[in-house]
Amino acid sequence: MALTTQRVDVPVIVDESKCLEKCVACIEVCPLDVLVKNPETGKAYMKYDECWFCLPCEKECPTGAITVQIPFLLR
Amino acid sequence: MYSTDMDPEVAQWIEMLRSSDLDERLVAVKTLQHLGDEDAIEPLIGALYDESPMVQEIAITSLWEFANPVAINPLMDCLGSAHEKVRHEALSALKELVSTNDLMKLLDLLQTGNVYTQLNVLVLLRKIHDAQALPYILPFFQSENPDLREAAVTTLRYLNQVVRCEPALGLAKDPVEAVRRAATLTLGHLSDAGVVALLCDLLTNDSDWQVRRNAAQSLDLLAETESIPALVQAMEDPEWQVRKFTARALQKVADDRAMPALIKALTDDYSDVRRDAATALGKLSNPDALPALHQTLHDPDMDVRIFSQRAIDAIQKSMPEASHV
Repeated sequence: MALTTQRVDVPVIVDESKCLEKCVACIEVCPLDVLVKNPETGKAYMKYDECWFCLPCEKECPTGAITVQIPFLLR
Repeated sequence: MYSTDMDPEVAQWIEMLRSSDLDERLVAVKTLQHLGDEDAIEPLIGALYDESPMVQEIAITSLWEFANPVAINPLMDCLGSAHEKVRHEALSALKELVSTNDLMKLLDLLQTGNVYTQLNVLVLLRKIHDAQALPYILPFFQSENPDLREAAVTTLRYLNQVVRCEPALGLAKDPVEAVRRAATLTLGHLSDAGVVALLCDLLTNDSDWQVRRNAAQSLDLLAETESIPALVQAMEDPEWQVRKFTARALQKVADDRAMPALIKALTDDYSDVRRDAATALGKLSNPDALPALHQTLHDPDMDVRIFSQRAIDAIQKSMPEASHV
């Protein structure tokens, strides 16, 4: 899988102000394991540019920090 | 404090659930949900009373997933929460968890003064279907809150063995449209004297088209010949949904008096109306409808053509053999 180069363009957007440092809920539920923690900030981000748009990461986030942008043709 | 055989990881998260820091409690409750360890049930029940609605909501979801009956009563306490998400999640969980054993507790909750609890309990009673709930529901018909009146009259139609309920008829003339819509659908399940006449009146005179549509649906369920004049009149209704369900009701109470209105409906702008009118004409078994039905075999809508052909076949099948010659 390709590494994400421009994080603003990835489909899984993490609001870092809401992301909890000790929480790994989104990382655990992602079937593709594309979400990881930034070791410097402790916040989750999308490391690999691959997504099934299955949405558990968004649903499981306890603070609602994750938004998955689903492409128009998949809506 | 905890049993000695408890998984140390679970014990650690349970301990964190008592933290004064909201972020830590959120992480703990979410992790306990993911771990799915039964030892976490009691602490999660405690988390239902957390000061943060976010923690409460996740605790409810976790207990829903455990589906352990011990959580049912604490979850019922969340039905009256001031936070909409908490109430909604508790209701969703209890919809799957409650059973007839919980009826008495639910009926007790109806006596509380909390409107949210009452509304949610009325919804849950629809799952239990027990007619014992009827005396507890009836006082809500006079409630000043229209949501409670609507929920109560909707619940009424889910109660088994209830076929008569005079007070429900009054709600069909309620000033609030949503209440009238619910009451009109409920009337289709009742057999009180005057129900058909009332539904006919609603079908032809109510100002709200959804009430008129629901009246047609209820008359379809009741299938009384007394309703035919009103149904014929409703075939001229300006709303197509009303005409559609009226045509369906006329399929049940096949009567030649409806034939002119049904033939006219074969040229309706809406294909659903044309299709249901064609089917209703087929049920009349009257050969006079055949020329009109033959014309709809060229209808632009495939459904209409198929159902017209079926109606023609049905009429021809019901005719004496000699007429085929």
